[in-house]
Amino acid sequence: MTASLPMPEDAHPDLPDGDRGGARRTGSPMRSLPPKPETPAEVVAAEAIAGADAAATARAPKRPAKAKRAKVAPTPGPPPPLPPELVIPPKPPLPPVEDIALPPAQAFVPEPTAAAESAVVETSPELVRDAEPALAPAFDPSSEPALEPEPEPILESAPHLVAEPASAVVAPLPATVPAEPEADDRTLDVPSPDRPAEPALSAPRADAPPAEEFGPDVLVAASVDTGADALVVKGITKAFGETRAVDGIDLTVPAGIFYGLVGPNGAGKTTTLSMIAGLLRPDRGAIRVNGVDAASDPLGAKRQMGVLPDRLRTFDRLTGRQLLHYYGVLRGLPSAVVESRTKDLARAFDLSDALGRAVSDYSAGMTKKVMLAGAMIHSPRLLVLDEPFESVDPVSSAIILDILKTYVSHGGTVILSSHGMDLVERVCSRVAVIVAGQVLAEGTIDEVRGELTLEQRFIELAGGLSDVEGLEWLHTFSD
Amino acid sequence: MAAHVLRLRIALLLGAVRGDAGHVRRTILGLILLVGATTTACWALLTLRDAETDVVLAVIVLGGSAVTLGFALAPLIAGATDPLDPRRFVVLGLPSGRLAAVLAVAAFLSVPTLALLAVSVCTAIVWAEHGVPWAAGAVGVFLGLATCVLLAHVCMALTALFLRERRSRELSGLFALAILVVVVPVGVFFASLEWGGQLPTQLAEAVSALSHTPLGAAWAFPGRVAQGSPESPTSVLLIALATLVGLGLAWWLLVRRLLSRTERPVPVRERGGLGWFAVAPGTPGGAVAARSLVYWLRDRRYLVNIFVIPVAALLTSVPLLIAGVPLEIVALVPVPIVALFLGWLPHNDLAYDSTAVWMHIASGVRGFSDRIGRLVPILLIGLPILALMIPVSIFLHGRWALLPAMVGVSASLFLTGLGLSSISSVASPYAVSRPGESPFQQPQRTSASGAISQGMVMVGAVVLSAPALWWGWLALTGDIDAATMALWGGLAVGVTVFISGIAIGSVVFERRGGRLMEFAESV
Repeated sequence: MTASLPMPEDAHPDLPDGDRGGARRTGSPMRSLPPKPETPAEVVAAEAIAGADAAATARAPKRPAKAKRAKVAPTPGPPPPLPPELVIPPKPPLPPVEDIALPPAQAFVPEPTAAAESAVVETSPELVRDAEPALAPAFDPSSEPALEPEPEPILESAPHLVAEPASAVVAPLPATVPAEPEADDRTLDVPSPDRPAEPALSAPRADAPPAEEFGPDVLVAASVDTGADALVVKGITKAFGETRAVDGIDLTVPAGIFYGLVGPNGAGKTTTLSMIAGLLRPDRGAIRVNGVDAASDPLGAKRQMGVLPDRLRTFDRLTGRQLLHYYGVLRGLPSAVVESRTKDLARAFDLSDALGRAVSDYSAGMTKKVMLAGAMIHSPRLLVLDEPFESVDPVSSAIILDILKTYVSHGGTVILSSHGMDLVERVCSRVAVIVAGQVLAEGTIDEVRGELTLEQRFIELAGGLSDVEGLEWLHTFSD
Repeated sequence: MAAHVLRLRIALLLGAVRGDAGHVRRTILGLILLVGATTTACWALLTLRDAETDVVLAVIVLGGSAVTLGFALAPLIAGATDPLDPRRFVVLGLPSGRLAAVLAVAAFLSVPTLALLAVSVCTAIVWAEHGVPWAAGAVGVFLGLATCVLLAHVCMALTALFLRERRSRELSGLFALAILVVVVPVGVFFASLEWGGQLPTQLAEAVSALSHTPLGAAWAFPGRVAQGSPESPTSVLLIALATLVGLGLAWWLLVRRLLSRTERPVPVRERGGLGWFAVAPGTPGGAVAARSLVYWLRDRRYLVNIFVIPVAALLTSVPLLIAGVPLEIVALVPVPIVALFLGWLPHNDLAYDSTAVWMHIASGVRGFSDRIGRLVPILLIGLPILALMIPVSIFLHGRWALLPAMVGVSASLFLTGLGLSSISSVASPYAVSRPGESPFQQPQRTSASGAISQGMVMVGAVVLSAPALWWGWLALTGDIDAATMALWGGLAVGVTVFISGIAIGSVVFERRGGRLMEFAESV
């Protein structure tokens, strides 16, 4: 994670304790102050979900909470740092009740502060954004509908969303909220282009029922420094003999997000990811990983990436411990570091008992886990994961997702391919649909799916379900 | 303090025979064996009383050197720990200089030292029979004993410092291999000597050389005195004394270091379970070497390849024997063949990884690390095999003058083979049976590239070794001086091709990463 991102510890001091306590006491959706700062993403997510749920059910308690906060807010001498995103919860469609609550808030740096608190507590800026959705519903149910309908309020849409309320809210913020200097500037500028994305993000969560399990993932939106793209792929092409497996694919993956590649079998996902990982050399096109050109500095680019390929062997005669050691030492880490990280990873991935066994004796899911652990051992900036959840049991995949979410929330970037549409829908903030070696759709989940579910949209893009003909004999049974 | 430590030392000695019955039985049995061996050695030495001075000198110097070497190596190989490890005295805050001295004195009180004392007293008796004054004999005994004891303790301290956490089956195996490589040729050399009732000249030279090394100097001193003054015993005495002083100094420094530095806890922890990875250096090249070793020793596909070597050696030599070629000539044939096959073995090693090679490519491993790491197993297997086979084959042949030529030819074939293999395994890998499949189940190959790269490496190694082979042939058929040419010429060609092969292979590996993956995925 970058140094500029505020750590949980940094954030806390700014928070008036009273606020937190108040929030908790009232039992508002915001209740969940990060008990464990290590996993801010989850907390935020939890909050968000809670917010969403609570928004529907218990709105009343919330308002009191806000009011309290609003009052308390002034007391904290040092204005809590407000990331730009805070502005977003543009609650233009706030019901009158809200308005009542708001005015004081603005005066004293009200909800924004509340938002700020939750956000700040969560620490990392990305998280803050996540928090917003939670807030939005919290303010009023009416706000949700307002936000959701809009598919992907892209940059353009942002302005109108934010509108005046945003600016109104924003104005007080700068005064109160110092935080990071840059953050300030942005706050002043008001509607930063990236913000609008989040409301969109929150929407899918509300729609998707499974969201509750993994809800948080969705929330992890674009990272603060949108300026740096973790991965830029320009027009890469790869032909095997006559067949063009990949035909001019362009991708831009901003840092700090989950990026999904979906496509039917044989669409070229694996080939694309292999080229990104440096395993295959593209016939044409350029790949830049965190600004490093993979063609001119392949080692530099590879150093930034952790790779989990699909259907490639690993050195499975080694034991799990040896394999992880191999991963680490090949990456140039000193043995002592590798050993301690091996232990940590084994614990995180629940592999400790299996480390002494040969990897060839592992189940498919265990192998996947140990390889994923190996891909992370050198703490890369970008994880390139090909079908990371295939053949992994639900519990393990929840754990893996958790690890990945934390990784992303701290500024890491994950690009993954998957056939699991709801997983992609839940987890990824952006997605590219690849069919026959070409990108047919690319954008945030909402941009891509439009009014359909991602799966429907995907099937549509992939050519639709043609009526199966010629199998009539199958319907007249032979006995 | 000295008295305390000595008492402690004696208590430790006695403590060895306490404990449960099995332990005591083993200890007693060991003691009995040791006493028996010592008695035998003493008796054997005493029979030398009426032998010639030169013979006695040779026996004592060679035996003494071997024993001294044993004292040095035992802690390294067996992992013997010093019961009076200086670190155990850390908490007492004793001055390190005095502690070093006291521990050195106490070290004389040990079972092996006592056995050695008995044997060396016998040597003194033998020398006394040869007219050496008692004083000189006593000095010799003391020097030899002190050298052994200090050497053992210095080595134990060094082991404690550097090797403790790396000790493993694998490492012990490596040491054993190294000793085998040294011992067997030496044994063959001895066996080949024509004793004929007197000392062979080669042996006399070896003894003379050994007596001027730290290992043999102390043992040679009384003998030199007995010889009169062909070579003054002073130089030998000085060497022995210098050795002793050097060891004393090293011991003193080590004690100081052990007392003043704490162990780094990091590497000690959780070192286990890594097998070869714990032995290999923690660099990418070392990791590749360790991984290759695991595969060479565990994967049947590699084992079958190794198995091919003796078969090839037999296939070439047995028919010759049957055809009536004299044994002296046939004995020389298998070694170059084996060297050639050993060099040729890794010519397709990359293909054996199958698609797992992605790890090397995605990790951005330098080509050099990959190339050299993959050659480590074959070097570890090949060098001992050649080191054992060459002396045996020369022994069978009967003319030791040919030894350099044989070494040169074998080195040239082996190293050029490895160099060419380093290139071919990245430049033109071909399909092999996949991991886990039967090594005899060969995949279908659509092109002849496999056969070509196999043949290229084999033929290339022979062609590049042609000069060494030619000189070797000259040495065999007449001009024995050509043997030296064959040695240096063969080594020069071999090393050159080896290094440039690795360099080229490294470049190709880094350039062709993508191609390698395409190959790996296509088979």
